[in-house]
Amino acid sequence: MKKNIYGSSLQVFLTAFTFLIVYLPILVIILISIHGSQYNYDSFKLTFKWYREIINDQQLVDAIIVTLQIAVLATTISTMLGTTFAIGIHSLKKKNRVRMMVLNNVPVVNPDIVTGIMLFIIFRFFRMTFGFPTMLLAHIFFALPFVILSVLPKLKQLDSNLFDAALDLGATKFQAIVRVIIPSIKVGMIAGALIAFTMSIDDFIISYFMKQGEFHNVSTLIYSRLAKRQISSNVFAYNSLVVVLTIGMMILFNSLNQTQKKVRG
Amino acid sequence: MKSLRRLIYPYIAWLTVLIIIPFLFIVLATISTFHIFNSYTFRFTFDSLRFLTDPIFLNAFKNSIKFAGITTLICLTVGYPVAYFFANMKSKNKTLYVALLIVPIWSNMIVRIIAWENVFKPVSILNLFNLSFDMIGSDIAIIIAMVSMYLPFMIFPIYAVLDKMDHGYIEASRDLGANAFQSFYKVTLPLSLGGIVSGIIMTLLPAMTAFALPERIGGGTTILLGNLIEKEIFRGSFSIAATVSFVVMVVMLSLFMLIVRFDKEGETLL
Repeated sequence: MKKNIYGSSLQVFLTAFTFLIVYLPILVIILISIHGSQYNYDSFKLTFKWYREIINDQQLVDAIIVTLQIAVLATTISTMLGTTFAIGIHSLKKKNRVRMMVLNNVPVVNPDIVTGIMLFIIFRFFRMTFGFPTMLLAHIFFALPFVILSVLPKLKQLDSNLFDAALDLGATKFQAIVRVIIPSIKVGMIAGALIAFTMSIDDFIISYFMKQGEFHNVSTLIYSRLAKRQISSNVFAYNSLVVVLTIGMMILFNSLNQTQKKVRG
Repeated sequence: MKSLRRLIYPYIAWLTVLIIIPFLFIVLATISTFHIFNSYTFRFTFDSLRFLTDPIFLNAFKNSIKFAGITTLICLTVGYPVAYFFANMKSKNKTLYVALLIVPIWSNMIVRIIAWENVFKPVSILNLFNLSFDMIGSDIAIIIAMVSMYLPFMIFPIYAVLDKMDHGYIEASRDLGANAFQSFYKVTLPLSLGGIVSGIIMTLLPAMTAFALPERIGGGTTILLGNLIEKEIFRGSFSIAATVSFVVMVVMLSLFMLIVRFDKEGETLL
């Protein structure tokens, strides 16, 4: 097949453009995090003091802890519930399954601000106190559909006779789910959990509607400081740490994957 | 596996309480005096619908359509070839390259918005390189920042469909005499429509309803639908916030119908 040189050089150019525009803010963030002054940009002064300043900023540390607690809890709960619901949805007849999936996908497509308003309305309606529990519930709510979406394709690949065979051989339903279904859909569950975790630690808009006084996750804390013009470069340092950690993890996973492939031949 | 159907009942209850009921509340608040904060006498009224002809609303609506529309168009024009490039890449590190586009999303959105705000301010870290822009409040600044935030969401769904596509179809069309353009136009493009529709929705809706980004980059003067909703709900004017949300939901649901046509179970949404 002849190669279309013009076509592919345009593709390379656009790919470079994509990485540039998507990574430019990240580079700016890293640069600010290692520059000595917040107001003077005449000459570059390398410093790591902002990284130390993360720990000295009690409010930021608290917000990081809240963010991590919510992310871990929301990921665990939504992965468990999502897998259970996905198994239920999978066992429906086609017509009802499609109906359920349409309903499931509404929150996926729904703009965050509308989801935020909807949850705000219903939590207010039930006179709930805003704070940790409502934020956790909200995060479970928006992560669940994604877990279901990533588990369902794995369930479709599963031979449904296996479940019935397990029952015939004397397993209880619970045993059959845990020992037969779960191991075969593990990959989908892990993918779903990763998406849930990513969305939870990064969420701003929905968490913003769950705010209450001085209770903050990292995003809402930064946003509230922004309004008060109290941004210190330590939030840039925190963010740079997250980015470096993620890139490192990805490269590690990639090389692990490749050695695994080599071993398998 | 029929016996497992019961597992969905709690999910139906969950979705009813957290989606259907709030949705009905929003509709009710749009067409009546219904209020969640305090209960007055209930009667139907179309007062809040009158807000839809208010210049404040019309301006926000126009801005939303303009910024989200242009952003989505740029993302599609750039994103499709990039997704195509990744999908046809022969490198063994292909998934790593695509995954590298996820990294910026892991980085906090608000911090990335502040980074763009810095880039567009006259006094900023860019002065170190003798660069200085004064673009806060300009349309182009908002669009650049939006493209930077939402471009990956256009690329992922298109990449997903292109990567799964059976190359046999393209080879078959070439064997049957189609040239490169024809086989792209008649085979590849129609087969990737599902991904395109998902990508458009994942870019258009968040851009339309963004509020932190237009507020910071727009210098507080550019109002989008998201800014309107956020301001009104915290000011306590529930019915106006609900009416604007209702408009956004109408847009969302009509786009959603499109997705359902191409991809019933939403497999391209991940």
